[in-house]
Amino acid sequence: MKSLLKNGLLAAAGMALVASTGSAVASPYKPYEGTTLVVSWPSNAHFNAAQPLVEQFTEETGIEVEVDYLQYLKLRDRQLLEMSKPTGEYDVVAWVVMWKGEYVNKGLLTPLSEMYTNAGLVDPDYDINDVADAYLQNGGVVGGERGYLPGKSGGLYGIPFGAETSILAYRKDIFEEQGIEVPTTYDELRAAMETLHAAGIPALTSRGATGHQVTAAWLFHLAPLGGRVFDEKWNPVVNSPESVEAAAFLRDVVRTGPVGIPAFGFGDAVTAFLQGDAAIYLDSLKIAAMSRDPSRSKIDGKVGFALHPEGTRCGSETGGFALGIPDNSKNKEAAFLFIQYMTSKAGDQKMVDLGGDPVRISTLQNNADRFPEYSVVADQLPCADPDWRPLIPEWNELNVDVLGQALTRVITTDDPIQPIMDDANEKIRAIMEREGYYVWN
Amino acid sequence: MKNDAVRQIYYYTALILLACISLAPIWVMIATSLKDEVTVQGATPLWFFFVPTLENYQTILFGRGKFDTYLMNSIIVAVSATFLTLSLGGFCAYALARNRFAGRHFLANATLLVRMVPPAVLAVPAFAFVTLSGIDNDLAALTFLYTAISLPFAIWLLFGFYKQIPIELEEAAVVDGATPLQVFFRVLMPLMTSGYAVAGIFTFRIAWNEFILALLLTGRNTRTLPVAAAGFLTEEGVEWGRIMAMGTLIVIPPLLFTFFAAKQIIAGMTAGAVKG
Amino acid sequence: MTATTAGETTLGKKPRIEPGLLSPYMFITPAVLIMVGGLLYPVVMAFYLSFYDWEIGRELQDAPFVSFDHFVRMINDPQVWEVLWVTLRFGFWVITIEMTLGIALALLLEKPIRGASVFRTIFILPLMVSPVVVGLIWRYLFDARIGWINYYLGAWFGIEPLVWLGDPQLAFFAIVFTDIWQWTPFIFIIIIAGLQALPSEVIEASDIDGANWWQQILLVKLPMIRSIIIIALLMRLIDVFRGLEVMLIMTGGGPGRSTELLSLHIYNRAFETQQLGYASAISVLLIVVVFGLSLAILNMANPMKTRSDV
Repeated sequence: MKSLLKNGLLAAAGMALVASTGSAVASPYKPYEGTTLVVSWPSNAHFNAAQPLVEQFTEETGIEVEVDYLQYLKLRDRQLLEMSKPTGEYDVVAWVVMWKGEYVNKGLLTPLSEMYTNAGLVDPDYDINDVADAYLQNGGVVGGERGYLPGKSGGLYGIPFGAETSILAYRKDIFEEQGIEVPTTYDELRAAMETLHAAGIPALTSRGATGHQVTAAWLFHLAPLGGRVFDEKWNPVVNSPESVEAAAFLRDVVRTGPVGIPAFGFGDAVTAFLQGDAAIYLDSLKIAAMSRDPSRSKIDGKVGFALHPEGTRCGSETGGFALGIPDNSKNKEAAFLFIQYMTSKAGDQKMVDLGGDPVRISTLQNNADRFPEYSVVADQLPCADPDWRPLIPEWNELNVDVLGQALTRVITTDDPIQPIMDDANEKIRAIMEREGYYVWN
Repeated sequence: MKNDAVRQIYYYTALILLACISLAPIWVMIATSLKDEVTVQGATPLWFFFVPTLENYQTILFGRGKFDTYLMNSIIVAVSATFLTLSLGGFCAYALARNRFAGRHFLANATLLVRMVPPAVLAVPAFAFVTLSGIDNDLAALTFLYTAISLPFAIWLLFGFYKQIPIELEEAAVVDGATPLQVFFRVLMPLMTSGYAVAGIFTFRIAWNEFILALLLTGRNTRTLPVAAAGFLTEEGVEWGRIMAMGTLIVIPPLLFTFFAAKQIIAGMTAGAVKG
Repeated sequence: MTATTAGETTLGKKPRIEPGLLSPYMFITPAVLIMVGGLLYPVVMAFYLSFYDWEIGRELQDAPFVSFDHFVRMINDPQVWEVLWVTLRFGFWVITIEMTLGIALALLLEKPIRGASVFRTIFILPLMVSPVVVGLIWRYLFDARIGWINYYLGAWFGIEPLVWLGDPQLAFFAIVFTDIWQWTPFIFIIIIAGLQALPSEVIEASDIDGANWWQQILLVKLPMIRSIIIIALLMRLIDVFRGLEVMLIMTGGGPGRSTELLSLHIYNRAFETQQLGYASAISVLLIVVVFGLSLAILNMANPMKTRSDV
């Protein structure tokens, strides 16, 4: 009953929109009316917020959409399974940028050039140049330099949606009380952490659970401090002075931060900040929308946003999701229309209204007055590091099995860091050797 | 006399304490499922005195997740696995208990060995099977596996029960002109209700609670409740209220069984170890 | 019960009936087929897959044959030995504590008292709770920030909040504790059933001989239920090798590999790092271990053997 009413209201809203834009009536969607798209995406704030936009798409186009929300970690197994079958269930998949290389390497995705060569499908007002370049390259382009970086050999496989970079969030009230300036460098950040810790206030919240969580926490500091996972020849350099410094910094974060970091996933780290148990947050920009959600945040209105501090260089996260079309989808055209709709200028704006995160520069600019973090994000994006982490199929094993284990040792023991990272470096080299990365050397 | 009374008090104190330890975590789950997220996140544990809300249940039952589908899936899988196990396992146990035929000992031993196959060992081959055959998103595969997992124990258990029924009863029925099937259904079944109840509860429990295989073998329309519950452990935070509400709903049927058939369950648990 | 009376009239007057030769096979075939398909085939398949380097998202026929490479790698893989060690340590602690507690409680509470059935019903409740839900409940209770355990440790003993699931030792303790909570009742129920099945004459005889309470337990009761104790122990040991769900939910095996039992390691290998072939090779190891333990149980208690050979 309730959903019927809701649908009715949405239909009305949808009709109003159709009437106002006019162009949608001469519908490019007509041939696909009645098609049902099955969409696989994660259950997280951005994608959950997208639900009304999905319903609006159905109202406007007559293309039915069934969304399969999955836990983020379960997503890849499911997608790989469906996409490797002769006929899969999914018509649209949302992948984490880390998986793009594997998906394309295994021949599971449709190159979007197949769609962009079909004039009947492409919205002339779409303006792909408006999509933040860091996001597009990181999530959608595969096959450039070293396979995952931008480059002439790359092809477009997906459009970013729910993409993100990292920003700093801090408690304005606590900073004022303690007389702390907003840190712009890692030295200042370190000093702020110590000041807070000395005052008995948990400083920086962070992920820290074994596996990909703790590795992500380390990566946040690795890029600005000047480190990398690999050099240009695929030699692992996680035992370089910069990498060790990043690990040492992470150990400091755990020491001065809220209780429990070694068990924190992203959600726990966020909750600690939102419940007022930490004064600083340095992770995905998703924090901004969450800090305004009264059901989970106790600190709305007390949060300031700033750029990710610089170490020897500026370098923030590139991550999040992109949408693409499985090669075994039976409804590729309709799937493309759906992706285009969700990431169009109107769609992007609507996502902002719904509490999601935009991917377009124009959307960031148009809403800068509404949300304080948007101008920060717009300034942050040029610093978003496309080589923030190696987006190679082997990354998962390195991430979970090698670095995830080594960094747990870093944050849960007082053992010297250099030997731990030396050991991890050797393990990474062995895996890369096994996977044939050194045959050209 | 006085000594006895003191001992009684000790006994009961010990028992009540143990009962509390057994019950407390389950109660914590139920209580948490009735709290809103703010109360859950609060610093002080509230055992009883909080403002209860059905918000979490509302979200689960009528929210975006297809709870009704998942519930139906769980029921279908558990009921059909139980039915298959009881009927096929019953036949098998009966044949083993009543007949001497070639390969009987081998079968009896093999049955006990496969009882111990770890689910983790089944996981990869099962995954391989569904990938190769394309049969996934199908409750049949899951039902089949649960039946296979439950059969050895059910056969073992029912075998013991059949052995306790004097063979003379059947002989008499045969003399009276009953066919083997009639003997089975008319003479044996009424005496076997308790045995089948035990085997049934254990099978149902496995199929209802199982997680790993269900996680791997189910798709968007075939998820079972434990898989759906684990889905609430999202990347962006654990919604404890909702998770606990889901947990409570999952636990209800097994708890009901326990209250109504504790005796049978204990019989089943001890059947493996205690003879007689 | 009407069937019984009808049967009794001709009891024992006729020779045993020899059923048709085929009929027992008809009765057992369906069950056997399902067990072969659902249990034996996967085990054989695990052996087969362990010779291939197969990963999720690739066709199995494209997977390269690697002969015994995975087994060689396994023998040299410190991680496998580490999780095996974790599993054995976990098994040692949970079984020692559960056996001690379970047997002690059974001996203390053996006497039939009023309300016994109510208490027993309550004691078996933890056993009926789905492992996933057990993991969820205890993950909440052990939570460093909002967990109730930290709260009471702080309120009653003034202990600073502990990061239960983020510290190798504490996380290990947490999963041991959870297992003890769930499985001690199992030992308790089995032992008490064994004690109550003891012939009362023997106990009375030892009473008359002037044995005190301790002597009676150590010299009469425990030796008499020895086989039950060993079977319960072996069953728990097999469970330790089978279990993974509770740890998967509570810690995922971390921090490090401090709570990663062998089964969970196989799962993580297969589905976290997607090395299905290598995971299968480790499964073979697990099968061998569990098979050995099961044979031991089988030697001690096979109801089908002892009863049908009369």
